[in-house]
Amino acid sequence: MNLEKVVFGFFVMLAATLNFGFFIGDIDDPTVHNRYELYAAVVVNLIATVLKFGDRTQIGAVHLATSLVADLQLIAAAVVLVWATNVSPEGVTPSAMASVVSLSGGALLANLVSVVLLVIETVSYRRR
Amino acid sequence: MSVEEQAPSRAEVRAAVGPQSSEAVFLVLRRMRVPLIVLLTLFAISVLGLTLIPGTNPDGTPWRMGFFDAFYFMSYTATTIGYGELPQAFNDAQRMWVTLSIYLSVIGWAYAIGALLSLVQSRPFRQAIAVTRFQRSVRNLREPFWLMAGHGHTGDMLGTWLDDLGKRFVVVDVRDDAVDALDLGTYTADVPAIVADASTPDVLVQAGLLHPSCVGVLALTDDDEANLAVVMAASVLRPGLQVIARTSSASIKARMEAFGEPIVIDPFDRFGDHFAVSLRAPATEQLADWLTRAPEAPLPQPHDDIRPGPWILYGYGRFGREVTRDLRREGVEVRIIDAGTGLVDEPEGADGAIVGDATRREILDQADISSAVGFIAGTDNDVTNLSLVRAARRANPSLFIVARQNRPENAELFDAMGIDLLLVPTTVVAQEALAHIGAPMLWQFLQLASHQGQQWSAALIDRLVERCGTGSPELWEVSLTDADAPAVVRVLQRHPVVLRDLLRDPLDRESTVEVVCLMVDSFDGSVLAPDDDYVLRAGDRLLLAGRPAGRHSMESTLLVDSSAAYCLSDEPAATGWLWRRLTREDARR
Repeated sequence: MNLEKVVFGFFVMLAATLNFGFFIGDIDDPTVHNRYELYAAVVVNLIATVLKFGDRTQIGAVHLATSLVADLQLIAAAVVLVWATNVSPEGVTPSAMASVVSLSGGALLANLVSVVLLVIETVSYRRR
Repeated sequence: MSVEEQAPSRAEVRAAVGPQSSEAVFLVLRRMRVPLIVLLTLFAISVLGLTLIPGTNPDGTPWRMGFFDAFYFMSYTATTIGYGELPQAFNDAQRMWVTLSIYLSVIGWAYAIGALLSLVQSRPFRQAIAVTRFQRSVRNLREPFWLMAGHGHTGDMLGTWLDDLGKRFVVVDVRDDAVDALDLGTYTADVPAIVADASTPDVLVQAGLLHPSCVGVLALTDDDEANLAVVMAASVLRPGLQVIARTSSASIKARMEAFGEPIVIDPFDRFGDHFAVSLRAPATEQLADWLTRAPEAPLPQPHDDIRPGPWILYGYGRFGREVTRDLRREGVEVRIIDAGTGLVDEPEGADGAIVGDATRREILDQADISSAVGFIAGTDNDVTNLSLVRAARRANPSLFIVARQNRPENAELFDAMGIDLLLVPTTVVAQEALAHIGAPMLWQFLQLASHQGQQWSAALIDRLVERCGTGSPELWEVSLTDADAPAVVRVLQRHPVVLRDLLRDPLDRESTVEVVCLMVDSFDGSVLAPDDDYVLRAGDRLLLAGRPAGRHSMESTLLVDSSAAYCLSDEPAATGWLWRRLTREDARR
């Protein structure tokens, strides 16, 4: 067992699960989308991205790319949420919440691709 | 065992320039993973804590900080900007957490910056940067350049001359100090250089072996094996590329010549040849030496007092054997003295050699030094050579002294001793290489000239000095073709041209430009130092020597129709395309 692989797999999975946890629920209902969960998703995604730095293989490059996409979408979701909460006079309207959740849904897709890549890597490693 | 021990050091050098380390960005990313994650985590914990710790409004009601406020606060605190703008005054619980966060963030930043700085200073990183920069500057070379493997004293000397001639080159050397010296050097052009083992093909490729502008490879390292490896790699990877290699071993030379057609320079062999030419015709050797020197070098002194009487040679090694063979071929008697080691290795040709230490008078007397005309101190040890020179002079002050200087650092000592003819292997190699690089026809000229007699050479030197001065002239080639000399070719279609006319000054027809024609290469053979009445034909190749100003004036004759017409014929010039057409029509009618 390789501790580095454990840490890597852990963060990739955790990023996906946290993302999923935030995403699940009615798309425009603020009460079912916990903002702490979004915060955790952003942080864990950033850590997962840093873990993917410096890998020169093809699969490593795709890993990094998907992670960057997820970061971008989650940060956009967080910014929209902060704007709605702190700046916008209407507060967190259903439409604002819907765009936050849909952005996190995009990030979820990228995270799922990451997980798939992780699985592919593992399987091909076994075969070798 | 010793081979086993040496192997890793070579492998290290190769690994340092392998493709893995070529991109510094990846190295930074990989090495910064842990510091970045630590920084991210500490920051995330601080922000999260701030949102969780209950605060109080000024009116006493409970209040919780939002993510945005917490992020904003931590951003200006963690980066030590300390903006001081707070949404609300903190209560004690929040202050406790902020105190902790400040220390955490300071540790995080200190760690990250420390890691980055140590990475920037680390050897692999600097090497990766150097390799990347080297590859980029080689890739961006647009002018023709030479790939120089090994930048020792030979490379330094040759590099200076190439730079003077406006030629570019790239340096590969295993020694750090050789490459560092380039940065301190005074080359006008930028010289891309890298610390790497040139015997590795990968390194040569990085240094531009496959680059379309690479015109040749110079294998000038101290290591014969490495030079052989360079020759091999060049001829296999880029067949047909000009390769100039240095070696002083006959077996390595033979192995090099098995790969393509490299020009192999053996300093001892070449020196022996020069020596033989000096004996026969000192002026010929003087001419060859002068033409292969750095631009504007003064005319060297002729060795007029060199005589073919009996010579004494001390040190029958590789150098001794070459010189002995060349001298004997000229019919000169050579008496060999050796300490014994050289004779054991290769006794061939050393019959009747005296074994002993030639700094001792009785040994010199045994070789009958009083009847000898010259003495050659040819060991591979400079101190020995100098003491031999002193001993030989004391025994017979009228001797012509030849000495071999092995280490360039000892130049002053040898200078002060007043040696008549000095062999410095590095200089010989540099001059030979320059003769091949400078102008391709020069080498052919030197080969043919070496068979010429004293009077011919002396006359040519006189002509060169009279027309171009005593500084060594610039050498270049001109082909009488449409590409090189369109104006002259057009005149040649109408009437014959003699060399005298070509060398007329386009500003004043009655005077001559500062140029001498050394050789003409035409369809039916080469003519050395053609006289002024030589009739030129289209397609001839000329090797010219002269001052830069003369070259400039001559270029106008070659390219500009009006100048060509003025110099080459008395008829008025038809300069325009239309007028040229009309006059030609007239001529046909």
